Amino acid sequence: MRGNVMSHSRNLSSWRQAIQTKNASVNAFVHISPPPHPWPESKLPLDGLAVAVKDMICTADMPTTSSSALLQQFHPPFDATVVRLLREHGADIVGKVNCDEFGMGSLNVHSVHGPVVNPFQAASAASSTVWDERERRSAGGSSGGSAAAVAASMCYAALSTDTGGSTRLPASYCGVVGLKPSYGLLSRWGVISFADSLDCVGVMANSVDATRRVFGVLDVYDEQDPTSAPPETRQKAKEAARQSWSGASLSSLRIGVPQEYFPQELSTEVSGPVQRAMKELQMRGATILPVSLPTTPYALSAYYVLSSAEASSNMARYDGVRYGTQIPSSSEDRFPNTAARYAVTRSVGFGSEVQRRILLGTYALSADAFDNYFLQAQRVRQLIKDDFNRVLRAVDVFSRDVPATTDGVDVLIHPSAMRTAPPLDFEAGSSNSLDAYVQDVLTVPASLAGLPALSVPLRRTADEWPVGISIVGQWGADDTVLRVGELIESMQ
Amino acid sequence: MLLRSCTRLPTRYISRQFHDGRWPGWEVVIGIETHAQIKSKQKLFSSTPTSSLKDAPNVNVSVFDAAFPGTLPRLNEECVDLALRTAVALNSDIQPQSSFDRKHYFYPDLPAGYQITQHYEPIAQGGTVSVGGRAIGIKQIQLEQDTAKTTFNPRTRTSSIDLNRAGTALLEIVTEPDMRSPEEAAAYVRALQAILRAIGASDGNMEAGSLRCDVNVSMNRVGEPPGTRCEIKNLNSVKFMQSAIISEIERHKALYSNGAKVPQETRGFNQDTFETFSMRSKEDAPDYRYMPDPNLGILEIPPQRVEHIRNTLPELPWQVRARLTTAYGLAEKEADVLLNLDTEEQYGAVAYFDRVCASGRNPRIAFNWMVHELLGRLNAASVAFSDNPISSEHLAELVSLVENGRLTGASAKILLKHMLSSPHNSRRSPTELAESLSLLSDASSASAELDLDALCTRAMNALPSECAAYRAGHQGVLNKIIGWVMKESKGRADSKKVRELLVEILKDKYP
Repeated sequence: MRGNVMSHSRNLSSWRQAIQTKNASVNAFVHISPPPHPWPESKLPLDGLAVAVKDMICTADMPTTSSSALLQQFHPPFDATVVRLLREHGADIVGKVNCDEFGMGSLNVHSVHGPVVNPFQAASAASSTVWDERERRSAGGSSGGSAAAVAASMCYAALSTDTGGSTRLPASYCGVVGLKPSYGLLSRWGVISFADSLDCVGVMANSVDATRRVFGVLDVYDEQDPTSAPPETRQKAKEAARQSWSGASLSSLRIGVPQEYFPQELSTEVSGPVQRAMKELQMRGATILPVSLPTTPYALSAYYVLSSAEASSNMARYDGVRYGTQIPSSSEDRFPNTAARYAVTRSVGFGSEVQRRILLGTYALSADAFDNYFLQAQRVRQLIKDDFNRVLRAVDVFSRDVPATTDGVDVLIHPSAMRTAPPLDFEAGSSNSLDAYVQDVLTVPASLAGLPALSVPLRRTADEWPVGISIVGQWGADDTVLRVGELIESMQ
Repeated sequence: MLLRSCTRLPTRYISRQFHDGRWPGWEVVIGIETHAQIKSKQKLFSSTPTSSLKDAPNVNVSVFDAAFPGTLPRLNEECVDLALRTAVALNSDIQPQSSFDRKHYFYPDLPAGYQITQHYEPIAQGGTVSVGGRAIGIKQIQLEQDTAKTTFNPRTRTSSIDLNRAGTALLEIVTEPDMRSPEEAAAYVRALQAILRAIGASDGNMEAGSLRCDVNVSMNRVGEPPGTRCEIKNLNSVKFMQSAIISEIERHKALYSNGAKVPQETRGFNQDTFETFSMRSKEDAPDYRYMPDPNLGILEIPPQRVEHIRNTLPELPWQVRARLTTAYGLAEKEADVLLNLDTEEQYGAVAYFDRVCASGRNPRIAFNWMVHELLGRLNAASVAFSDNPISSEHLAELVSLVENGRLTGASAKILLKHMLSSPHNSRRSPTELAESLSLLSDASSASAELDLDALCTRAMNALPSECAAYRAGHQGVLNKIIGWVMKESKGRADSKKVRELLVEILKDKYP
């Protein structure tokens, strides 16, 4: 591996060279670390591999802005646990990558660093247009920088985050592999919170194998994260997953296809390749079963209430007193009251999308609305979990008295996104934010239930924009999900 | 639950008939919310050491305490244990499952923009504190974070923030509206302080800010429903609390007497004027947007953990008082003297007294010598009891000497004075010291030195005319001769023996 890494001149890895040539056009990296000094080859599992880190994950040696004007000066004094683990395993943290402000967005256009431009260019267009002037399409969000950096070979893998689809959606738009692990497997210590009960650190790479390699290094208990699953729980879930499907052959694999995930609005660009992939899996011996997750239509509303409520709470600290660049008030009053000062700082400092969600979340938590919005959304969340437990064969290690469903399925498969990457300039007006929210409809249920979900790119002709397929499993069945993803990848 | 509601309701009903000569025809209803700083080594959700007032500002601050983006809480089990101890000591029902919530408001000394508290599911509910024979009901006990400290400089109009306190664990203890007078409120706070100190949950020091009170006061005419309550925030001494309640009572009474209404509001207390002032009205009450904390999950307390706490709980103040009165026959006031003495260890003076009384020594004599004599002398010399140089074993020995008649009361006072006179004497055995001072009066040890025969002979030589008078039949003169011997012996001689000896000698030598 190392020979490959150092095959280029000036001891610069191929990834770092790609950053130099491509980043200006993609806008994935917002901070690039100085190249490491040549160091002796080690046997470390990630030795010399370039990993990009989403700018919501704290790094002691680089700024961590969350793509917010408020945090442009923020230099964390510590590394996130996941960053520390990467370094300890030999990875070269090449830089920080763009995202939607505090992870809120589906197109990576709400960023103080500007939008990320999808690096993909259709083969037919390449003959007439230089790559730099390719069609400007979104890389997806919120981890658009992570997906684009991987797609443009600017890194071996990238860390992302995923609160409601922020890893899987950009992975689908950019044609890379994106894993949102089970909630609580990867430490969130040092990951700037958007919505703590949903936030996961994700992993993106060009192959399932590379994804697994990085995931394997990070998949450890961390006592600094109170939601980190203890080792016993992880072990129990792994055993439950293996009991469900050993991973040996496709003939024993039962795949569920949730009918609610194929709505009318699903573009034919997406439904075609997804259906072909399912047929192929069936031909190779897998059992494909139609299943129903009836609460799915309510998932999106519940997600936006819960995630915005938590966001409004988590954003409270950015008031310009400790965090956030303080905006001086223009008033002639030498001593404006503190509330006015907070208001000025927060109105100028936060982008429109973040402000929209803070307002929604603040309302959902107000005394008058709490029961009808927040509590109602929590009930829907439980129903979503119940839906999954009804159809999945592996037992949910968190529910005490739910017997394993013997006639259930091992994984669920559905399209990762409603469409291929949307054009950037069309969205720039952001006339209808609801359209953007609808893109999350396929990804939020797994987030609400805390389940592992992997988006794998499907085979396309060189002229077609990438499409991803998602594999969802029971909590802790991340190995199963990766194994099925690998099988789909191998069919290409 | 059922038992509690049955026993408390009548109490409350009866108590509503209380009359107070200061405001005849009126009833006062008081409830108290106490914030007690938990005496843990580390903060509630981080491993940062807790601070004392002596620490320089902003030295005990971790990234979590300062609410750095990316940091997460980790519950400190020591704080939970101390909360559980408090719950057990206050007869409160520990909830098998409780949880934490975020309370939101913007203030520079609240680093995260929210305080983690227990709004929806507190760690314990119900309970009582016995105050002067009345049970004051406890509504709930909850764990929460303290804020940072803001110091405002009015001259420069700047605020300084000290994060040392940020994230320190607090216990919020809320009573039912069960108190009926400022004095009862004060007694409740003192009883609570004593309990918190006894179980090591808090220093309970109001002046140092480790115990703070918010008081709810309402008033109504006898026979009418309770009036509108006002909350007085942040009272930091029992004296101020009493004054604030009195000020509030007078204010409510004046308003009602003029036919006006008392608006529901939150008030502060001005320590210079001893009056309360309006801080905000009910309409301005903030919406704290309570939200279950998404990081901390459910706090499960298994019954074994509560059982362990129950078994390791030290004696509580009222239990000690009961023991002292029943086992030793002390009056409650006498018991309180021992309970209220400041000592390094909990109930140090009680333990000292227990040791003095050991081996069946008379508790009345022991109490007298410990409190009236020893403590009296210490007080006169401005020495704290915690610096008392005399060990309980030595005081016990002195008490035994008195009890056995080897030391008269007068001699024992002299001995005690000598024991306190120098560190050397404090360390010496009291019997030995008494011997060297020739204070002992019995035959077994000191009388060997005290030659009664010789003393009596000297007496006869010194008082020839008295002896002659005795022999002549004036028996009453004998007392004068005995008195001479006693004086010469510095009180050591046993007057009964002296009398016997003198009668013998006077008879023998002059038949």
